[in-house]
Amino acid sequence: MEEALLRAVLFGTPILLASLGALLSERTGVVNLGVEGMMALSALAAFAVAQEAGPALGALAGVGVGVFLGLFLGVFAVSLRANQFVAGLALAALGLGASGLLGKRYEGVPLAHPLPEEGFALLALGLALALHYLLLGSRFGLYLRSVGENPKAADLFGVSVDGVRYLALALGGGMIGLAGAYLSLAYRPSWTDGMTSGLGWVAIALVILAGWQPLRAVLGAYFFGLLFFLQFRLQGSVPIPSEAFAAMPYLLVILVLALSGRARAPKALGQPFDRGR
Amino acid sequence: MRRILGLVLLALGLAWAQGDKLKACFIYVGPIGDAGWTYAHDQGRKKAEAALPWLETRYVESVPEAQALPVIDRFVKEGCQVIFATSFGYMEAVLEAAKKYPNVIFAHATGIKRAPNVATYMADFYQVYYLNGLAAGALSKTGKVGYVAAFPIPEVKRHINAFTLGVRAVNPKAQVLVRWINAWYDPAKAREATEALLSQGADVFAFTEDTPTVIQTAAKKGAYSFGHYTPMLKFAPNHVVSGQIVHWDVIYIDFLKRVKEGVYTAKNLENVDYFWLLQHKAVEMGADYGVPINPKHVPLLQKAQMTVGGKKVSVYDRIMALMKDMQSPKPTFDPFTGPIQDRKGVVRIPAGKKATLQELLSMEWAAPGVVGDWPGEPK
Repeated sequence: MEEALLRAVLFGTPILLASLGALLSERTGVVNLGVEGMMALSALAAFAVAQEAGPALGALAGVGVGVFLGLFLGVFAVSLRANQFVAGLALAALGLGASGLLGKRYEGVPLAHPLPEEGFALLALGLALALHYLLLGSRFGLYLRSVGENPKAADLFGVSVDGVRYLALALGGGMIGLAGAYLSLAYRPSWTDGMTSGLGWVAIALVILAGWQPLRAVLGAYFFGLLFFLQFRLQGSVPIPSEAFAAMPYLLVILVLALSGRARAPKALGQPFDRGR
Repeated sequence: MRRILGLVLLALGLAWAQGDKLKACFIYVGPIGDAGWTYAHDQGRKKAEAALPWLETRYVESVPEAQALPVIDRFVKEGCQVIFATSFGYMEAVLEAAKKYPNVIFAHATGIKRAPNVATYMADFYQVYYLNGLAAGALSKTGKVGYVAAFPIPEVKRHINAFTLGVRAVNPKAQVLVRWINAWYDPAKAREATEALLSQGADVFAFTEDTPTVIQTAAKKGAYSFGHYTPMLKFAPNHVVSGQIVHWDVIYIDFLKRVKEGVYTAKNLENVDYFWLLQHKAVEMGADYGVPINPKHVPLLQKAQMTVGGKKVSVYDRIMALMKDMQSPKPTFDPFTGPIQDRKGVVRIPAGKKATLQELLSMEWAAPGVVGDWPGEPK
């Protein structure tokens, strides 16, 4: 039982971090479908830098790459007013492809000094609490949310819509980068092409499941982690085929989603803001 | 007219190519840096090229199984005379292409269908798994050995069975706890499956997955493990005991030499099937190249005892003796020698008989000692 809870937290952590990152930008109205690719590139950057300069700098590099990619997405999704979904998907594909290409020399190499998973887990929990306070308890959070709900009104009140969205993408990108760093520096710890194995997509789904609430994202991520672990823990001791077990975490998440009722998305989600229109 | 011109050019090109170098082309299902299956094939390709001065090679990596045919078309246009398709899923594409290009020689890894210009080949680990099983049986204190398995197909089942027979030969009460992850590559699943097995008391691990995740996870909790496919000692120098290592180059070199000598042509491959084992040096037992057992664990295995034919012998000596035997040109020992019952008590291999190649390739039953779900288990 203790073991299961520990796994729930430790496997839930990368999902939680990435999910918080996506949640933050969605609260300002920008959908980020690039999470998977951002995580992959951050994981690679973290691993590469960690090999050369130690794990702490590696983790920083992961965060840095995440911030950079968040801003990069902003250029298209905010400034150029491109379709956010297409821009995000392109970033996901780009990140996965580029990380595979650039990471060839780091394949099959053990990491000299891994970081403790527990540290990341605490940090993620702290970030969730901080984000909760930031969004719902601070004046700045009000600006953030107003940009996501009614950018026109926010603009009229003198809030820089594009500025807030860039900031959210950068901060969120940093958290997604931290998720990548966790995978390659603590959870694995090594680098292989495609090592994010779909966790970025789970994180995006979790944002919706959590109803855009950071604290609910914590529960959702841990719940997914628990189910993911249990599919192997229970396999063989319960007369259910292993393939059905493999689908279980996803099925249960969908079920919870259906039962939890419709959470309200930020009103301006997915809509580029153009002052002139 | 253009077609005729094209054919003439192709014929000229082939004639020129044959006078000069032999061009062999490889289709890989994964990236060459995956430290697993595709990496091993690519090492084989490189070694073959280094060993055969008249050989020229080319490869395309990460080819999805549905995309194999266009890649083959391109290879043929570029003058490839021998095409190696290195994934089971390429089977239909290979057979179709073989009809389309009757003068090109194809070889299909892990394949089960042949044609006049399609051979099949496989470097199999079942003997190595048995030897590793002996060591695992000796090292487990809890009597529970963990196995993180990719897909419930005969190849993987054969390996788990051979491994379990080895474990049980040393410790007749030991269990091999099997967890399926239904993926060849999925470090997250491999990690959590290992964690699940650790929490159930497993203290020695073997696996089929393309990353060293199981090894790294087991080592964190001080559990022993056996590498898979490539040398994995460096990922946990204190905990990797041994493992299975492949040498595809041995098969590639043999095959290509025979093509060069004209022994294999595009007309006589119908019965050419390599199922190469320890005796052909296509596989190796090892924590690393040339390290059958990690020296750190040799004393433990020397101390451990097992009963063979009523006599006590050290597990280490037994492993070494059997390995030597199976590496010899005419092995006398085979792990699948009867009498062997499956875990339900049905006799699968009668006393004194060895499993036939067909029985090995279609193995669905589970050996006694295997614990866990076993999709496709015969009633």
